[in-house]
Amino acid sequence: MINAAGRNRAPRRSTAHASSRGGDLARFDSVERLVHWSTAIVMLTLIVTGAILYLPVLALGIGHRGLIENIHVISGLCLLGPLLLGIVGPWRRQLVNDLRRFDRWGAADFDWFKTRARRSEVPRGKFNGGQKTEAAFLGAAMVAALVTGVIMRYAPASWVTWATGATLVHDALFFAIGIAVLGHVAFALSRPDQFVSMFSGRISRSWARDHAGAWLAEVEASEAGAADPGDGSPRRMQ
Amino acid sequence: MAEDSEQVLGPPDAEVEPPVHMGRRAMLGLLGLAGVGIVAGARIDNALGSGLTAISSAINLPLPGADQFRYYTVTGSYPVIPASSYELAVDGMVSHPLKLRIADLRSMKRARLVHRFQCVTGWYVPGVHWEGVHLSEVLRAAGASPTATALRFFSADGVYTESLTIAQAQLSDILVADKMFGKDVTSEHGGPVRLYVAPMYGYKSIKWLNRIEVTDKVVPGYWEGYGYSVDGWIDGVAE
Repeated sequence: MINAAGRNRAPRRSTAHASSRGGDLARFDSVERLVHWSTAIVMLTLIVTGAILYLPVLALGIGHRGLIENIHVISGLCLLGPLLLGIVGPWRRQLVNDLRRFDRWGAADFDWFKTRARRSEVPRGKFNGGQKTEAAFLGAAMVAALVTGVIMRYAPASWVTWATGATLVHDALFFAIGIAVLGHVAFALSRPDQFVSMFSGRISRSWARDHAGAWLAEVEASEAGAADPGDGSPRRMQ
Repeated sequence: MAEDSEQVLGPPDAEVEPPVHMGRRAMLGLLGLAGVGIVAGARIDNALGSGLTAISSAINLPLPGADQFRYYTVTGSYPVIPASSYELAVDGMVSHPLKLRIADLRSMKRARLVHRFQCVTGWYVPGVHWEGVHLSEVLRAAGASPTATALRFFSADGVYTESLTIAQAQLSDILVADKMFGKDVTSEHGGPVRLYVAPMYGYKSIKWLNRIEVTDKVVPGYWEGYGYSVDGWIDGVAE
């Protein structure tokens, strides 16, 4: 490829690793990005309205409790909607696949919690141990917040001791989810490659080589399988 | 079945061999913890006790588990009324419409009670000291008509309203309260004068009370418009 300045980049590519091909990798499909950003908007609404309901200075300074409560409750009931819609239709394939990756931990994921010196050389998959921890935590926290919120708002009067417990858990989740979301945003902003990939869906091959070697190998194996139209069957047989 | 769908949906990360289902384990563990919190939370609340409450009130933040008031207002701000200019109007189906100032309330037959403040959403503050005048005493002083059946309460914020039946208003644990923990009720808590309806949830205890209308029809108040029960009886709370 020759760009406007006339420099030929082909020689550089030839020095690259034999198995690497050109072009970015598809990291998140459009369903995943839609689920992510719609969940993010609902989550932001919940955090802002939750803070107004919970923090005394905002509860008194902004007030309008009935309205704010309604927005918070309706947003809460919608929180899991995008994710559920994402996994019920024929478009679910990659989303479900990535959720399965979140679930499964190997040596590389446990390594994430060790100091650099004590890590093994096992290449990482598409997601690292920190991302898998965040996913498990936020997944559980969203369900717990929904259940406790429904108890607080809709439980019959005779359940009031459960409503007290639900309030305790819901309050604790305000802090826990707040920290998790702040951490998520901070990590995303400090890692532009990954942040942009939640808009574009794509990430560079060199990022994958550095941070997700096992995933890159997996993608390149499937590329190799798909790129040999002549007789792919012997290759598949091996 | 699980194996089948795995084939269809593609392979997991290649390096995970054998995979450990840590994700679902962690989620189930956290959800179990939340379940324990819901079922045992009221007891945990009691156990966490006064230390947490002290920290909580010092930093003016209701920490999870602390017995602390949460301040609600349904308008964009809240009324701050000097005790010196405060008046409570009692009108409608009465023989003597009243305008009660703080001094008038303090010269009437006083009543005290210690009771928890219980919010319908679950939080509560145990052992709150209230002082004021029985609602029934205020109605007696105004000469409420024998044909009246209901009361409407109005707040100085102009939006918050509440209701009780005349029969409910005869209960001895309903106060027109001007003191809380031995001090004047603050503006944040609905002062100078608020209602305190001990047997019902907190939303029935209207804040910034400035008018009681004696009528013959229960008109549901502000929170009832958001789906909360008109008769906000507290059930299942032992005290």
